[in-house]
Amino acid sequence: MGKEERREELLKELHEGVVEFEEDQVKEAAQKVLDEGFNAYDAVMNGLAAGMEEVGELYDQQEYFVPELLMCADALYAGLDILQPHITLEDLGDKPKGQVVIGTVQGDVHDIGKNIIKMMFEVAGFTVHDLGRDVPLEKFVEEQLRTDSEIVALSAMMTTTMMGMEKVIKMIKEKNPDVAIMLGGAPVTSDTADLFGADGYAESAGNAVQEAIKMISRLREMQNK
Amino acid sequence: MAQMSLRERFWNRFTGKDVDMTPYGSTTTYGVVDLMDKCGYARPLADTDPVAMTELSYAGHEYGKFEWVKAMGWDIVGLSEAFGCKLGTPQKDIQYSIHGHPYADSIENIEFPSDYLERGRFPMFKEHFRLLKEKVGDDLVVFGETEGPFTCAANLVGTEQFMKWIYKKPENINTVLEVTREAAVAAENFAFDNGADYYVFAEPTAGPALLRNKFFEKHTQPILKQVVERAKGPVVLHICGNTDSIIDMMCDTGVAGISIEEKADMKRAVEIAHQKGVKVFGNVATATTLFNGTPEEVYQEATQALENDTDFLCPGCGIAPPTPLENLLQLKKARDDYFT
Repeated sequence: MGKEERREELLKELHEGVVEFEEDQVKEAAQKVLDEGFNAYDAVMNGLAAGMEEVGELYDQQEYFVPELLMCADALYAGLDILQPHITLEDLGDKPKGQVVIGTVQGDVHDIGKNIIKMMFEVAGFTVHDLGRDVPLEKFVEEQLRTDSEIVALSAMMTTTMMGMEKVIKMIKEKNPDVAIMLGGAPVTSDTADLFGADGYAESAGNAVQEAIKMISRLREMQNK
Repeated sequence: MAQMSLRERFWNRFTGKDVDMTPYGSTTTYGVVDLMDKCGYARPLADTDPVAMTELSYAGHEYGKFEWVKAMGWDIVGLSEAFGCKLGTPQKDIQYSIHGHPYADSIENIEFPSDYLERGRFPMFKEHFRLLKEKVGDDLVVFGETEGPFTCAANLVGTEQFMKWIYKKPENINTVLEVTREAAVAAENFAFDNGADYYVFAEPTAGPALLRNKFFEKHTQPILKQVVERAKGPVVLHICGNTDSIIDMMCDTGVAGISIEEKADMKRAVEIAHQKGVKVFGNVATATTLFNGTPEEVYQEATQALENDTDFLCPGCGIAPPTPLENLLQLKKARDDYFT
């Protein structure tokens, strides 16, 4: 078997392992990638992340639901744990894509959606600062200032807690108007996001990363002017 | 038709008899800041003190003009709390939420405690029921509410773990559900014994936004059915999100009513529910319209819900704390105009 053919085969194993949440298959394939001298970054992006992309599509088509997403995420992380230490700065190009502060707002302990978005950011090459769930509002501001992240992503799953988002947006924009803030979560709509003064709104996990990349390019354009 | 008493209007509609007009109220939580300010009793006191809780219950009727009132507070953690789930600190505009999962590490010792109704806020709820019944007498219908057995089960072990068990340890799912089923039965009958006219189970974790319908059919529906069968009074099931695909299964749990959000199709839900003798509550949007919209938008959406034949004109979910009272009152205005 040629090298390229073998690479394709391993990528397929990673991809399928994520989609079918076969954690062991993913671990084995990831180990083979390293043992046989293939590129770890290639395996993450074109194997694991590509698999997760298909998972996102299956979720949008209502073939997969939250339990399946969680199982796929476990499989993906099992592979990432093995491959990530072998990714070099060279692989990442000149610099990482960006930094994100993420968390579920105060009073809200629903973090499944947040964790899935976090994973999508990670596989897309962002550096993620995860504050967890039920995060005091001022903590978002502190962490953004500390890390100088371009994006703050806020999640709320309840109509009763999403109001905290508006407060965080005001607090962050006062200190640093250039930060892009994106919102997500079941009760949040693009109208609410506009009303609260957010820069972006993500309806689903796949959409969150695309929206973030768009926001960062807008920011960079602004900064380069 | 001559104007009915509020109690008669509610019960007639609930039991399929004629009414002068569709009842208006809330069958979900209404820990609304404007109501707290009006009555002078606010959260967090109104979460734990029977007098404050009762006054805020009544404020829904007095200032929000709701035609029936809610007992048992402004959150949906009552069952889980009594199992020992650690709760977050409530604030005026933030409700109780689950912070710790007592059975996250092991369910080996999970059981339904014999003194369950002595735990959590149940003793306080008892006094609150007494005060509320004293206050409303026979004028108003009173309902109790907690999370349902499925949502409680997810709280006890952690939702993420519970969801993964579907694939990893399916036998654990039933073990936990059998325990939370007993809690749900104890809580509903506690409420009926203390004067509740009906009881609501909120199951935010069991809906099609999170789980496939097959799972609802296999695990959630049978447990809810048993809970409803053993209830001493009528039960209403609230599930958030777009519930179009499970309306029939929600009705088939044997409940007297279902409560749905604006994301669900009210007209279709009513058609399905009425064939099964079930009433529908809803479905004015809480986040987009009641909290975020103008009074005119609320009025329009309420009128739309009436045109779609809702049996009880209600918010579609728990009302957001900063919702303006003016917006809530548009529901009544729309209803009154619709029937003039």
